[in-house]
Amino acid sequence: MTGHDTDDGADGPPRKTVSVPDTIELPRLLDFYDLQDADHTRIHEFYDRLREGDLSTTQCGDCGALHFPPRVVCPECTSDDLAYVSLPHEGELFAFGAVRGSGPLGMDTPFVTGVVDLDGVDVQLSARIDGADYDDLAIGDPVALRIVDVDGPADHDRVFYQFAPRGDTA
Amino acid sequence: MTGTAAIVGGGHADWGKRAATWKDLAQEAGKAAFDDVDGVTPADVEGLFVGAVQPERFAFQSHVAPLAAELLGIDVTKMISRTELACASGQAALRYAWLAIASGQLDVALVLGVEKMNLGDDHVAETQSGMTNVLDREFDGVNGLNAPAFFSMFAQRHMHEYGTTREQLAAVSAKNKGHAANNPYAQFQQQVDVDDVLDSYPVAPPLCLLDCSGITDGAAALVLTSEEKARELTDTAAYVTGSGQSCMASNSINNLPSMSAWPQATVAAEEAYDQAGIDDPVDELDVAEIHDCFSISEVIEYEDLGWVPKGEGGQFIEDGRSELDGDIAVNPRGGLLGCGHPLGATGVSQALEVYKQFTGEVESARQVPDSPETGLIHNLSGSGSVHSVMTLARDPQ
Repeated sequence: MTGHDTDDGADGPPRKTVSVPDTIELPRLLDFYDLQDADHTRIHEFYDRLREGDLSTTQCGDCGALHFPPRVVCPECTSDDLAYVSLPHEGELFAFGAVRGSGPLGMDTPFVTGVVDLDGVDVQLSARIDGADYDDLAIGDPVALRIVDVDGPADHDRVFYQFAPRGDTA
Repeated sequence: MTGTAAIVGGGHADWGKRAATWKDLAQEAGKAAFDDVDGVTPADVEGLFVGAVQPERFAFQSHVAPLAAELLGIDVTKMISRTELACASGQAALRYAWLAIASGQLDVALVLGVEKMNLGDDHVAETQSGMTNVLDREFDGVNGLNAPAFFSMFAQRHMHEYGTTREQLAAVSAKNKGHAANNPYAQFQQQVDVDDVLDSYPVAPPLCLLDCSGITDGAAALVLTSEEKARELTDTAAYVTGSGQSCMASNSINNLPSMSAWPQATVAAEEAYDQAGIDDPVDELDVAEIHDCFSISEVIEYEDLGWVPKGEGGQFIEDGRSELDGDIAVNPRGGLLGCGHPLGATGVSQALEVYKQFTGEVESARQVPDSPETGLIHNLSGSGSVHSVMTLARDPQ
């Protein structure tokens, strides 16, 4: 402690300054998006397929259960014999809500999140609803998948999904 | 099990946006509890059970139960634990203390709930980031939804499926905030009416600002003892008569079986009612502190705690059946809507309120009439995946 004294302490004990940086690189765990490659997650195939434009999930090879989110162990029968299957890219709005006021770090508000019933399968997805204001939406509205490329601090391309009112998905 | 356990007193820190740290709040509530209970000092406490949700995120502090032991001068000789079960952490801490005492492991426990959530007006996003991680962060939290947006979808679906009205939801807020107006530790002590609720900012439609609980700094502590010890200490205690807890195999929004019902509330309530010998909860319960994190929550709970058929929760409030002089006085403390919701502290505070209602120590304007003798507390967490229900009685069974 004595090597960096900034005051000789003539009027009291010696004192020094410790600096705290104003800004730091985004801490890894405050980035909401997981690292998505094979070095970091065993469900990387989900992200690999999504990057290619295909929404998919795991299905159990033993009991046939369809999961979402994708798993490495089947929660129905504990089998780890799982395979990826494609999911429909269209569905209907089951519920939706608006985030106004303060959102989480790095997320500008307002925006809409919702729950989408995918067409023809027993899968309900939690997703951001893009391309519409809250007041323009209604339960049952048809929506379609939109792929979102994540521009952020990772050394591989990351991707996620949103849904948007059908007809608004170019 | 060899017996039960009883609440013999406790106290609160002031709740709100506090110029105080997590450690300050823990000390204030601990002192209030020891000041309240004649005959119990820190030296008598054998077990310490701390409900705390995100001290790592909100206060950059982990291993908080031993820290609380140091702050309150408690040499724990039997059992120490910290429970993290999101918004239901407080009752979880109380439930573990009850189990430890009822199984004969110890006679005197302190149950402490503490949360420091306000990091400053310029740092609300940091708190919101923490709240967002309560569901599956990879697939839910990443979408950025916060608690108002999540619960607004339950309001939307309940209105859609059952015809529940905006006015019925607002009536819940007006009732509970009215009680909080007479509660000196509550965060929101302003009386509001239905129109005030409906006219407040639609922060997450159909929910308005006054349909929401707050971001709250707060703490509560209570002393829980064996039945024998309680008889030594006091004439009036709150004895645990039943305790149920349930969690469905779906925490992520992606796997919820319903967005208008909480089946786990029914499972937990039925377990508690069965233990307590309660056949008709509306007839047999005098007071209830239930988890009104948003106005819609209380309406769903009237139904799923088994008080009215599914879909009739809105009518229950509209008919005044949950008012102080109604069939069950619900949230005379002021609820989360009025008191605020310092996550880990809420369940402890709810339990303490039932005790204080039994002893008649609350402000007269929110005292449940006719000397309440039976009570219920209910705590939920996350997506509604977890529900805890405990029943209490002024006289042991």
